[in-house]
Parts: sequence; structure tokens; C-alpha cells
Amino acid sequence: MISVSGLTKKYGDKVAVDDVSFTVATGRVTGFLGPNGAGKSTTMRMVLGLDRPTAGSVTVNGRRYRDSAAPLREVGALLEAKALHPGRSARDHLRWLAASNRIPVSRVDEVLSLVGLEAVAGTRVGKFSLGMGQRLGIAVALLGDPPVVVLDEPVNGLDPEGIRWVRTLARQLATEGRTVFISSHLMSEMALTADHLVVIGRGRILADCSMRDFIAEHAASYVRVRSPQHGQVADLLRGAGAEVTPVDDELHVQGLDAAAVGELVGDKGLYLHELTLVRSSLEDAFMTLTSASVEYSARARTDQAGALR
Amino acid sequence: MTVTAESRTVALDPHRVVPGTRPGFSSTLRAEWIKFWSVRSTTWSTVMLFVLGAGLTALICATNAEWLASGEADESPGSFITFGMTFAQITAIVLGALTVTSEYGTGMIRATLAATPRRGAVLAAKALVLTGTLFVAGTVTAFAGYFAGNFFLDREGIGLALGDDGVLRSMFGSGLYMAGLGLLAAGVGILVRHTAAALSIVLALVFVAGNMAFLLPGTWGEWIAKLMPGNAGSPVAVPVPFNPEALAPWTGFAAFGAEVLVLLVIGWVVFQRRDA
Repeated sequence: MISVSGLTKKYGDKVAVDDVSFTVATGRVTGFLGPNGAGKSTTMRMVLGLDRPTAGSVTVNGRRYRDSAAPLREVGALLEAKALHPGRSARDHLRWLAASNRIPVSRVDEVLSLVGLEAVAGTRVGKFSLGMGQRLGIAVALLGDPPVVVLDEPVNGLDPEGIRWVRTLARQLATEGRTVFISSHLMSEMALTADHLVVIGRGRILADCSMRDFIAEHAASYVRVRSPQHGQVADLLRGAGAEVTPVDDELHVQGLDAAAVGELVGDKGLYLHELTLVRSSLEDAFMTLTSASVEYSARARTDQAGALR
Repeated sequence: MTVTAESRTVALDPHRVVPGTRPGFSSTLRAEWIKFWSVRSTTWSTVMLFVLGAGLTALICATNAEWLASGEADESPGSFITFGMTFAQITAIVLGALTVTSEYGTGMIRATLAATPRRGAVLAAKALVLTGTLFVAGTVTAFAGYFAGNFFLDREGIGLALGDDGVLRSMFGSGLYMAGLGLLAAGVGILVRHTAAALSIVLALVFVAGNMAFLLPGTWGEWIAKLMPGNAGSPVAVPVPFNPEALAPWTGFAAFGAEVLVLLVIGWVVFQRRDA
């Protein structure tokens, strides 16, 4: 379990992470979602004791990461894929990591085959593609067989097969009873992987709920209607209490379901060319949520500037 | 490339005892040792140290033996027998700087500190691996240079015995000086975190500023010159220094050691506090 409490990180005047609190529970995949620059990586670096919080605290399994004697056997992390020396082979990279935490050398070959890199184990990692680098990063994370796994943007640079592999792996690690914490800027990816969602924007937590609640709350739907009698249909539906928004030659209708729209139009003998229920994607919901936080911050800054004058 | 989705891990007891022995400083040391020797730059630097150090000593002794044996010589053969180390210094500096700056250049410092959050242990292990390697390489190189160079000096009847004043000291002194220079470069590397910057600073300090300082006027100028790291540290590596104004070998090396130590303490404090 990871507990983040009142975590704040400032770089000079810039607040990267602003009083963030949440917990990452055992046995499920928690997605950490936010646009680039929202504070995901900064938060993850503080979880791993790499960056010093300006305020607040983070504990992993009840203690600070820095106080762990063998951290790789307690928390496995995929950092940015390029945290590697290009001149060192994949096996040597894993060998020194294993040595540092007294992990048996046999585990090195185990994780290499687990991520499918055994054929290139002796190749210098500078020659690796982005995807191979990510696989090596995941091998590093799993090296110590840790109960807590932290993956920062694991699907970056992976091909569709690799993305599916990471998804399956994350789900499986959670099923085994591990704590899995994955960051991403892709809502669609999180929707398929995560059980729980923590959304961050501009350093603040915007949502902390189960994936199901997030979908129920944020994924809006509407009925798309096309008709040669565009204007008449719009007036008819508005008259029935629906909210109608014309978009090009379409009408987007909210407040009535598809059946009700069809019956109303049919009663009047009007023609319909299309009647479709459209669920807005989670990606849209995520964009709406985070863009609100961006606008809020921009306005807040203008206010401050005004106050200074 | 095939991918297996099954993980070979076992279901976990959340209260399990972490298997295996708890890692201590020896684990950190082992990790740094593997890291150090698993990049090509280490082998290259060490080979270059040997080639320059022993090779140039042999070359200069071969070309100057006749002159040194003649009555015209105003230098001692003791100034030539470790001559190559003057150039081997460069490789020691490169190796020292790279030990630290390559981690920052690649972002690997984060992997290092995630694996070993005890930052003092990381620095100590790096310093031990670096100084151990440079001391051995420097000493072996100095001996090789001595045997090769002395072959030519012997032919002119001006050979030096290992038992002669300062000869044996300069052999081990070469190892010590190489180790000290490596640490100096590593210390600067911690502070600037950039390979080119660290190399420029240390090379300028040792080679350029060290020689320029002798132009400074007055007694204080003379002392600054004597205490510049390269000027203070190098006499221990030569039986008879070229520069008669230099500090006595062990006095100079003590001053040099103190300078390196101060730099490392500053580096250690910064390293403890800084975000990785």
C-alpha cells in the first residue's frame, strides 16, 4: 500500500504538486491519470524518495522508501525508460541492480525472459528501441519480486501487442495481491487496465474514485439525429423538453432517449435519416475534467496579477 | 521477440518476510563494481592510462638517456622515470568524472538511488571502486614505466635502483596521485553533474591554472601556486620534481588530500540534499 498525505512540491515559485493526498490499495490496479506536466512523475519520484517533498509525506507499506533496507524487493519501479547507460548491456544493468539488493543472479535471466528480452540480453541498451527500453524498465521493476509495483507511463513507445502485454501483466500482478500503481496520460488505456482512478491536473487531485464511478459520473451520452426536416424536428424535440444542439447537419439531443425521439418524430410523420445513441468517450470526459483545471489555474493567475497591480 | 504474459512470480503474502539477506555496504560496493566495469569507457581509460603512463616514460627515457648521462644535463634522471604519469593524469581525471557524470547524463542516477536510498553509501562505494582501481592501475603503470625507462638509463650507466632515494615512493605515489585526481574529478562531477563541464574545470585547474599560478607575484602568489591541486599532489609521484619550488612530496600530498577531502565533503552534503 502507498499512502500519500498532504504532498507538496515547489520548484521556486512554481507548484508542481499541490497538497495531494490519496492511497493506493493492495490487490488492485490504481491508475494515476493526468495530462503531461500535471505532476505525475514528480509525485512518483517523491514516492521513491528521489525528490524531497516541500511538505507532506509518502509511505510505502507503512514506512518511508528511504528507510527500506532492500527497496527493490519491496517496491519495483519503472522510471523514465531512459534511466539507463547506453553503453551497458541489458543483463549487466539488471546484474548491478540485483547485486545492490542481494537479489539472486538467477532472477536476472528470469525477468529477461519474462519481458521477452533474452535474445538481446547482451546487447548494449543504446541500440534498443523505445519499446525494448520499456520492456527492460519493466524487467527492472519486477526484478525484486516486489509486493508494490510502480510504473510511470509503461505503454509509451510500445506496439499494440506490447500494450496488451503490459495491461495483462498489470492485471495479473494485482490479482496476485500486489499493489499496482500506473501513471498514464491516456484515459482509454486506463479504462482498460485500472480498477481505481486518481486524476491529477496542475498538481491537484481532480478525482479519486473507482473506475466504474468515474464512468457513471463523467461519461455523458446524447442522441444524434439527422433529418431532412432539420428545423421542424429541432422545434418538436425542444417542445418536448429536450436540449437540442445543432452541429453541422446533425442535432445532438439530451434529455430524451432514442426511443422517445423516434416515437415523437414518427407521430408527426417526419423523416429520420439517423437516430443514434452516442456515449461520449472517457477520453472526452477526462479532457473536460482536466481542461477545467487548466482554465481555473489560468484565471487564478490573472487574479493574482491583478492583485499585484 | 516473443512475449509471455505469465509472470513467474508467486502469489504474495502481504506480511511476508522479504527473502534473502539484507543488503549492506558490501552489496552497494558490488553493484558499483559491476557498474564500473560494465561500460567500455572504463576499460579504455585504464588501457590508455597504462599506455600513456608506461609508454611515454619509456619513450622519454630512451630519447634523453644519452643527454642525461652527458655533462650538459641540468636535470636528474629521477625527474624522467615517472614522466608518462603527467599524461596518464588525464585518463584518471576522465575516469573519475565519468563515474559520476555518466549517471546524471543518462538519468541513471535515479535507478541508482531507487536501488540504494542511502546516498552516503552510494558515494562511498563509488569512491572506493574508483580509488582502488586507479591506485592499482597507477602503481602498476609506474612500475612498468620504471622497468622500461630504466632499461635505457641503465645502458648509459645512469640507471636508478628501486632502493634509490624516492624511487619506490614515486611508484606507489603515482598510484596515490592517480586515485586522488580521480576523486577530485568525481567531486567536481557531483557538483556540476555534467561530463564536459567537470572535465573542463578539472583539466583547467590541474594543467592551466596550476602553471599560471607560478606567475603570481609575492609570497602569497608563491603559496597559491604551491597549493594548487596538481602542483601539491604530483611531487609524491616523482623521485626528483622538475620544479624545485614544489612542496616536499608527502607535505604536498597531504595538502592535496585535504583539498580533495573538502571538495568531497561539500559534494556529499549537496548530494544528500538534492533531488535526484
